Amino acid sequence: MAKSDDCVHILQGLLVFGNVVIGMCGIALTAECIYFVSNPHGLYPLLEATENSDIYAAAWIGIFVGLALFALSILGIIGVIKASRTLLLVYIILMLITFAFEMASCITAATHQDSLTPGFFLKQMLERYQKSEPANNSDSEVTKTWDELMLQNHCCGVLGPSDWQEYTSAFRLTHSDADYPWPRTCCVLDTRGLPVNLDGCKLGVPGYYNSNGCYDAISGQTSTHAWGVAWFGFAILCWAFCVLLGTMFYWSGIEY
Amino acid sequence: QLRYRPVLTQDPPLEGQTTASTFVLDQPRCVFEGYGNAVIWLVVALEQATSTFNNTAGPGTAETAFQDFPDPVRAYMTLNATLGSYPCPKPAGDITVLRVGSETSCTRDATRPTCNGPLPGPGPYKVKFLALEGSVPVAETAWSVPIALRTAKPPSKISTSNGHSADMIAITTILSILFAILLAGLVAMLFFWGSDCGGSSTFSKPESVTVRRYNTHHVYDQPAARL
Repeated sequence: MAKSDDCVHILQGLLVFGNVVIGMCGIALTAECIYFVSNPHGLYPLLEATENSDIYAAAWIGIFVGLALFALSILGIIGVIKASRTLLLVYIILMLITFAFEMASCITAATHQDSLTPGFFLKQMLERYQKSEPANNSDSEVTKTWDELMLQNHCCGVLGPSDWQEYTSAFRLTHSDADYPWPRTCCVLDTRGLPVNLDGCKLGVPGYYNSNGCYDAISGQTSTHAWGVAWFGFAILCWAFCVLLGTMFYWSGIEY
Repeated sequence: QLRYRPVLTQDPPLEGQTTASTFVLDQPRCVFEGYGNAVIWLVVALEQATSTFNNTAGPGTAETAFQDFPDPVRAYMTLNATLGSYPCPKPAGDITVLRVGSETSCTRDATRPTCNGPLPGPGPYKVKFLALEGSVPVAETAWSVPIALRTAKPPSKISTSNGHSADMIAITTILSILFAILLAGLVAMLFFWGSDCGGSSTFSKPESVTVRRYNTHHVYDQPAARL
C-alpha cells in the first residue's frame, strides 16, 4: 500500500506541476497575443488590403485560449488535490475544447504564413502602388507603406527593380518607362530626399539605385509574428496533451 | 565602312541596359579617328529595314523623323555629336554610354525630328553610327546585332500560391493525432465509468472510509436477524 500511495502522490505532484506550467504558459500566450494585436507591425496595411489578416484572428483566439488555460489549470490543481471525479471530468472536457480552439489558431497562423509568398506581395504591389484613382483608402495606404518600406530598408520592389520592367503595373500607367524605369524611391536619395544622381538611377548604375528586393525584409517581420503564435501554441498543446493523458489515467483510478 | 559594331553597354553592368522603351549603347570612342570635321549620328532602324536604308538620307528630314517611326519611317537618326564629345582614349572609371530613348519631352514635337525619344515597341532594332560632313556620308560603322527590348507581362499571370510548407503540415498532422488520442481517451474513460475496470490500481481518497462497507452489512443484517 505504501508503494502505491507513493505512486499516487508522485502522480498527483506531477499533475499539479503540469497544471502550474500550463497556467503560466496560458498567461504568457495571452500576453504575447495582446502585444501582437495592439502593436501590429508596419506591414499591416499590406495584409489588410487583401483581406489576408487571418493572423489577427489567430491572435485574438490566442488571447482567450490563454485565459482559459490559466483558469482551467487552477481548476485542475484543485481537482487533483481533492481527487474529485466530477471536477476532473469537467476539467478534462473543458481542456479538450480549449485544445481544439488553440489547435485551430495554430493551424491558421501556420497556413497564413504560407500564403505570404513573394508572388502575393508582387501582385499587390503592381496592382496598387501609386494607383492613380485610389478606389478606397487602402490603396493609398499601400502606396505609403511601400514607400516607407523601400526608404527604410534601401530596397526596391519585391524581388528587385526588374519587377517594374517585367510586369505592367498601375505605376506604369502614369509614369513612362523612359522617365521612370522604376519608382524614384528606388534611387539612392540624399538628405533632402532627392536622388543623388538621377541619370545614374535611371540607367541602373550600381551605387545610385537599390538593387535588392524588399521581400527579405517583409518576410522577416511577418514570420516572427506568425511563428510566435503558431509554434508557441504548438508547444503548449504538446505539454497539455501529456498533462491531460496523465489526468485521464489519474481519473480512472480514483475510487468513487 | 568601319569595322566597329555598336554594342549594348556591358561594363559596368547596368540594370537598365534594356528597358521596355530604351536601351544603352557604348559611346563610339576611338572609332572615328581622323573625322574631326564630321558630325556623328546614330541611326536606329527596324531590323528588317537595315538593307533598305540609304546613307544619303539627311537627318532631320521627313524620311528620318523620329515622330513618324516606325510607320512610315523605318529608320530614324538621332543623337548627333562631334568627335569632341567622344575623346579618345576613354578615361578609366568614366561611364561613357548613350541612352537611346531618354528624351520624353519631344516625342510628339514635329519640330524636333531628331528627337531621342522612347522607342515605340519591343523591336528588334539595329543601330549604326554614321559620320556626315555637311550632308555627305564619310564613314559608317557596321550594323549592330538585333537589339530586343523587354516586354512586360500582366500581373494577373503571377501565381500567388506556394503550396504548404513542411512546418504547417507537421503542425497540422501532429496536433490532429494528439487531439484524436485525447478524444479516444475521453471516450474510453466515459465508457468504463460504470465498470470497475481499474480495480487493481484504485487508490483511496484522502477521507474515504472503507469501514462504511462493514457497517452496511451489519446494520441491515441485525434488524433482520432480530425480527
